[in-house]
Amino acid sequence: MADKVICITSGKGGVGKSTVTANIATALAMKGYKVVAIDADIGLRNLDLVLGLENRIVYDIVHVVEGVVPPEKALVKDKKTKNLYLLPAAQTKDKSAVKPEDLVKIVEELRDKFDFIFIDSPAGIEEGFKTAVTPADTIIVVANPEMASIRDADRVVGLCEAMQKPEPKLVINRLDPKKVARGDMLDVEDVLQVLNLDLLGVVPEDRNMVSYINRGEPAVLFEESIAGKELRNIAERLLGKDVPIPRWSYSESFLDKLKKLFGSE
Amino acid sequence: MGFMDKLKGAFGKPPAKEVAKKRLQLILKYDRAGLPPNAVEAVKEAILKALEEFPFIDTSGVNIHITESENTKGKIEIEVPVKNG
Ligand SMILES: Nc1ncnc2c1ncn2[C@@H]1O[C@H](COP(=O)(O)OP(=O)(O)O)[C@@H](O)[C@H]1O
Ligand SMILES: [Mg+2]
Repeated sequence: MADKVICITSGKGGVGKSTVTANIATALAMKGYKVVAIDADIGLRNLDLVLGLENRIVYDIVHVVEGVVPPEKALVKDKKTKNLYLLPAAQTKDKSAVKPEDLVKIVEELRDKFDFIFIDSPAGIEEGFKTAVTPADTIIVVANPEMASIRDADRVVGLCEAMQKPEPKLVINRLDPKKVARGDMLDVEDVLQVLNLDLLGVVPEDRNMVSYINRGEPAVLFEESIAGKELRNIAERLLGKDVPIPRWSYSESFLDKLKKLFGSE
Repeated sequence: MGFMDKLKGAFGKPPAKEVAKKRLQLILKYDRAGLPPNAVEAVKEAILKALEEFPFIDTSGVNIHITESENTKGKIEIEVPVKNG
């Protein structure tokens, strides 16, 4: 499968890489695929928190690199979702503790045992980013519909090209349909006009996200989550299914304009 | 806010997302070409100075902008109009 090793990256921090990684990985595991999520954010581990696995960690990726244990021994089995495994980052080491060739080796050792291998990249465009992207066959860039995030996403796309990687696919995260309808936030078409990438999905702003993370239960586990629904759809698209992407867009009507004119808004 | 301001706000002022898109498109042109944001202005100034000595050139109509290029990081295009008559 060409889309087996998938790196999730963004340039800018805090745009939702770990959230998207945890949710797509969970969604695919729920469908019966064997999935491992690798936290490549060395020194700032948090994929374990999103998955609610923080107190089950014994070994981490740096132990694997140092040869203390083989990769399989360091995997943490998810307690809620069958078929899902986490290879945690180290919390105390720095980014240089895992080199690109180290991660390539780990991925090669896991490759035959899993249907999907996700790599959650650190923010930035330095060493840690390069390490995370190097083993990937597919790259997903997560961006918020917001100036700094889009600018950084474009940088990342340029760097992937320089590394001779396939062109990243785009996930727009935290789009707020209300702000979009008012014309205050870039809509899906705007983002695509600026970035010109293949769109893999659009995840809306979900006010319950913080509580899902607080509980360590990814949004895709909840039928009622609006972000969870689109994250499940992204997983379907990775499996090659043609699920339409909602195009929340700006469409200020004449009536809206009149309301703005006479109303108190 | 007066009625005229509201009228302007509702029908005149472009929505914030349009402004953001325009700004981003410009920023990314410079980013992709690896140029500082004042690069084009600086080149334009130098060119205008050099063109001053040619009376048949309409310096007020000189147009300069960055575009994408196939084999280089970017391309600066300059249009230099000749005066009529
Ligand atoms: N679709 C969303 N709706 C609301 N909040 C979100 C959404 N996606 C992510 N967040 C929030 O954004 C914050 C950063 O997310 P995270 O996945 O840790 O980003 P990154 O890994 O890129 O640094 C988290 O607090 C998370 O709850
Ligand atoms: Mg993260």
